[in-house]
Parts: sequence; C-alpha cells; structure tokens
Amino acid sequence: MLEIKNLTKSYGDALALDHFSLTLEKGEVLGLLGPNGAGKTTLISILSGTLRDFTGGVTFLGQDLFSDRNLRNKLGIVPQDMAFYEELNAMDNLLFWGGLYDVPRAELKKRAAEILEMVELSGRSKEPVKNFSGGMKRRLNTAIGLLHQPDLLLLDEPTVGIDVQAKVSILDLIRKVGAAGTGVIFTTHQLAEVEDTCSRIAIMDHGRILAQGTLEELIRLVGEREIVEIAGEFPAAVFSDALKDLDGDGIELLSASDNLAALAVSDTERIPKIMDRLFRKKVPVNDLKIKSPNLEAVFLKLTGRSLRD
Amino acid sequence: MRRLFLILKNDVRRHFKAPAAIIIYLIMPIILTGLIGVIFAPSGGGGELPPIPIDLVDKDKGLASRLLLGAFDAGQLKTMFQVTVADETEGRTRMKKGKASAMVVIPERFTLDLLDVKPVTLEVVKNPAEQLLPDVVEEFMGTLAVMLSGVVQAFEPEVRGVRAMLDGPVNAFPWETLAPELGKAQTKIAAASKYLNPLLLSLKTEKTKAAGAKANLTRSDVFSIILPGMAIMFLLFIVQTVMRDMISEREDGKLRRMLTTPLRSGELIGARILGGWLMGIVILLVMAAFGTTVYRVTWGPFGYFLLLGAVGAFWTAAFFALMNALVRNRNQAGSLSAPIILAFSIFGGSMMNPEAMPKAFRTIGVITPNRWFIDGAKLVREGQFPAVPLLILAASGVILLLLAVPALRRRSTV
Repeated sequence: MLEIKNLTKSYGDALALDHFSLTLEKGEVLGLLGPNGAGKTTLISILSGTLRDFTGGVTFLGQDLFSDRNLRNKLGIVPQDMAFYEELNAMDNLLFWGGLYDVPRAELKKRAAEILEMVELSGRSKEPVKNFSGGMKRRLNTAIGLLHQPDLLLLDEPTVGIDVQAKVSILDLIRKVGAAGTGVIFTTHQLAEVEDTCSRIAIMDHGRILAQGTLEELIRLVGEREIVEIAGEFPAAVFSDALKDLDGDGIELLSASDNLAALAVSDTERIPKIMDRLFRKKVPVNDLKIKSPNLEAVFLKLTGRSLRD
Repeated sequence: MRRLFLILKNDVRRHFKAPAAIIIYLIMPIILTGLIGVIFAPSGGGGELPPIPIDLVDKDKGLASRLLLGAFDAGQLKTMFQVTVADETEGRTRMKKGKASAMVVIPERFTLDLLDVKPVTLEVVKNPAEQLLPDVVEEFMGTLAVMLSGVVQAFEPEVRGVRAMLDGPVNAFPWETLAPELGKAQTKIAAASKYLNPLLLSLKTEKTKAAGAKANLTRSDVFSIILPGMAIMFLLFIVQTVMRDMISEREDGKLRRMLTTPLRSGELIGARILGGWLMGIVILLVMAAFGTTVYRVTWGPFGYFLLLGAVGAFWTAAFFALMNALVRNRNQAGSLSAPIILAFSIFGGSMMNPEAMPKAFRTIGVITPNRWFIDGAKLVREGQFPAVPLLILAASGVILLLLAVPALRRRSTV
C-alpha cells in the first residue's frame, strides 16, 4: 500500500532523512521509534505533504503520493499539535475538518456522530472544546484524522502529555483502526506503547531505519541474554574504559552514558566479574538492575543511547 | 470553491462564538463619534448665553441707584442678568464661591453727583475664576455708563432744575415751577422713547465662519463628518483582528493540518482575504446603519457609499494579508498593527479634520487609507461620485494583494 524509497531531506548541513526506505501493508500498524532528532516528524511532514524540497519517492496505493492532490482523501493525519478550533464544539470541529475532505455532505454528520461515539466524546459533542481535558482533546485530535476513513493513518506522537487512561484509550483506538484494515504509522518515544500496539516496529536514528520487524524479531537481535543496567557516578568514558577488555567474554557493553550504562550478559554469573572490575577501577556504582531482554535493550544496542536521551 | 466557502462559514461561526473583540471595536467608533459630536456640535439652544449672576452693592441708596436696580429687574435686562443686592463683603464672598461673575458697586452720592452733572464712577469687580462672563458684565456696564452720561447731558437743564428744587426745604418747594420742567422733559422723553423702548442696549453673540463654509451646521452634520473617520479607523482594527487568525493557525498547527487535506493553498488564502473583506463591508454597513438611525448621519447616495466602503474594506484586507505574511508571529503582528493603525488615523484625518492639520501631516496622510476614505465619504455626502479616492484605494489595494498572495503561499509551506 505504501512504499517509501530513498527519501532524503536536509536542513542546511543537517541530514534529517538519509535514504530512508520503508514499506507498509494494509492493516499493518507500524510503530516508529526514535530519539529526538531521529527524523520521525520530518518523515510524517513529508508524507502529509507539508514539507517539500526532498529527494526520493513515495508510492501510495500504486500512485506517486504527491502527483494527485485527491490522494489526500485517502490519507489521515493526526499531528502532534492539537490542531482544531477550541471555541467550537467537537461536532462543529469534525464537520469543518471533515468538510475539507471529499466526504459526501449527507454522510458527514453520520460519520461524525459515529467517530465521536468511538472516541467516547458523544456525550460532550456540543460543548466548546476549550472546556475539554487534555485527554479528551487528544481523542478529538485523533478523531479528526479518522473521520474521512483513510486508507493510511499517520500519527505523530499521539499520546504526548496525557494521562494513562487517555493513553490506553487512544492506543486501543489505533489497534481497532488497524484491525479494520487501515495502515497505521505512529511515532513515539514510549517503548511500551509500540510493544503493546504495533504489528511491526521500526527503530530509526539519524534519518535511517536501524532495524525493523516484530517485537520478537527485534529482541532476538540482543540474543537470549540478560540485560544489566548499572547506575552510579561516572563519566561514560571511564565506565567504557574499565570494562573494555571484558567485551566478548560473554559480556557486551550495549550503551554507556554519564552515570548510566547497560550491558548484555550471557548469564548472570558474569555479573560479579563486572562488579569486581568496576571496584578495582574505582568506578562508583549506586544501583544495579537485571532485566530480561526487551525492546529497550534493542534500542540501546542499536542507537547506543536511551530513548530518554 | 466549496472548501473556500466552508472556511468562510467556519470563520463566521467562530467569530459569532467569541464576538467580544469585534463588538468592542464596533461599539468604540459609535461611542467616540457620539462623545466628540456632543462636545463640538452646536446645541439646539442657538448659542444663547445663560443669565449672568452679578451682585449689586448700593452705597448710594438714592433715586438714581434705585432706578438702576429697578432697571436690572425689568424687561430684557432681567433675562440677561441675575442680580443679587449685597454689601461689598458679602459680594466678594459670593464671587469666591463662584455664585457671582462680577460685582457692581454704586458709590455714595451717585444720585446727587449725577444730578450735579459731576463725573461719577461705577466700580466693576470681576470674578478672577471666570473668563468670559465677567468681561461681558464689564462691557455692559461701560456701555451703560456711556448711556447714562448721554441721558444726563441731554436732560441737563431739566436735571439742574430738579437739583435746584431739591436744595430748598420741602415746604418751600416751588411746585408751580415743576410742571413746566416736567413738560419739557416729557417732550424730550417722547422724542427719545422710540430709541429707549425696546431697550437699545442688548447683548448679541455672533459666530464667525470660514470663507465658503456652510451656514447653520447642525449636530447631525458634525456626526456625518466624524463618523467616516472613526469608521475607517476601527475597520482597520477589526479586519486585523479577524485576519490575525492566519498567524494563529500557522503557529498552532491548524494551517499544517489544513494543508494535509485536499485544500489548495490558493483556496485558503482566498478564503482568508475574502473573509476579511466581507467582514469589513458588514462592519461598515452596521456602523452606517447605526449612524443613520441614532445620529441622523447623512451619507449621500447610498450606492456610492457602499462602493466606497467595499473598496476601503478591500484595501484593508489586502494590507493586513500582506502584513500577516511578513510578520514572524502573533506578538509581532499585535505590536506592529496598533501603531500602524494609529499612525494611519492620525495622519489620515480620523482624529482631526484633515483641513485643520499641519501641511506635513496632510502630505503624509496621502499614503493612508483613512485619508482617501474620509475624502471619498465627504464627496459622497456632497452627492458626488468619489472617483479619485476609489481609484487610489482600489489600485493600491490590488498592488498590496499582488504582493500578499505569493508571500502567503510561501508561508503556507513549512
């Protein structure tokens, strides 16, 4: 349904997308994980048609996405901003934004009522949106992107700044939309969101996809190893230096930043050896956690940094 | 086009939901016009002076001073002056309290000196806290003194006769000689009566007017002159308020979201400019209707006025479209638009009559829409077609629009 080939975009000397390629099938929910500056929002902006001056191509439903403006009727966008009119009520907002697409007038009101029901806002449909909570606004923001029943839905960090309950509601909605056959790409910082919601996950950094696949496929990248997370008061270089000759002996340094480092170990018996080395090298350690292999470890391995960075 | 009208409809709905700013800008010119009109327009009373409160201090208590007091209490003088008889101390106190504009002191021996045909002095003490009315009293008393002198000189033989009679004892009064003296006096009074009745002396105010000015300027005329200037000034404020949405939408992501739909940037820009233009026309029509019904403003041929309003609103919409395309953000737009509108209004004649402005102001005013709108409204009021103002506003509006559209297109992409 969607094929992105060698998409490249730069801002001056900074490369935001570097020969980025990706495909998406109908009904697939793809979580795009990446730290700040990875190029996620640039990708969404290009796909939604608001960013120009790039190279590469995007084919959508067999056509060049940018050749025919009417293709936008098949594309739903949920931006990171709460992009609607706060002085209007939810129904008026849906009728306006839906009206910008080629939805038949008679059907528009019916669809608006249905989508309000789906995002659990039907009881507040006549209330000015400025009275809504942050979670309700996020749900309305998502509903606007779905009103015209797109074939592809792009969501740019749809769960930013909302409470857990609202987050669960939006993720549930994304799953339902995918199950109904709509292709979904959503960007996020939250590993747990993609673990629970996506049929496929892509990890990107510096404008490129580093790895992609199902959750299981990605976890296999770090092997059947335990993840050891060490916190203390140390510079990254000091920590890396202390353990450098242990690398390969069933111990792999996944990431090291100031005061926090992560290692993959083939078995937990390697941990005393690590601690002994750190003690002898006078690297202060405050905390140590042993974790099962997870997406965070994959992310650390691939990007060398935590998503929080 | 469907989407263009959808955006227009949505904008109207939004402004109806939060109309405070527009209502304030709509009411302001109407209130200001009313205030300025009430202050500067001629009142319905024809400019008559109110009765002037004066205190009379009678130190003479003789025949002439009583005649003088009686004269102030009768006929036309009674409508001109409100006289209170007081002693000198009381008179000064009343002036300090602002209860009298002047105090007239009739000196001792006023009657006797007058009958002796000797010089007498009437003292006028003016209230220093007042400006106009004490001067009126002073002028009036000066004129009265001239009149009295003339009367005494005209009746000198009779006056001297009466004075001589007063010198002797009452029982020695020569009653038989009084009749001829009175007869002579009666003859002179009869001859002079046509000049004395009605009283020759009266105060009259006369207004001067500029050459070519129309006579009998009414309050409605003043409103008709003020309201167009106020209307164009607040039209600028309203249209800018409405069109500033373009910047808000750019900042809060709504513009980006709109451009992800099949909407074309031309439709969006068209909707915004058309919206500002139509809003301007509607606002002008509301102001015109209010001016006509409440202030009895005369606009001249309505078709001409409507055309002038439409072109003025078009200029305003094109100007703010360009400005909003050039500014970086909402704050910059807000801080720039108010001084620009005020400068337009000051130099363009919204705040004072352009004919009364310094030449330098009038020269600068030529580049403002206010000046051409006000000039156009004046021509329409006089029944003429405002060809030059229309041409200048339309041509400069088109130039602004041609600059605004590509600038807005550039700002419509991220």
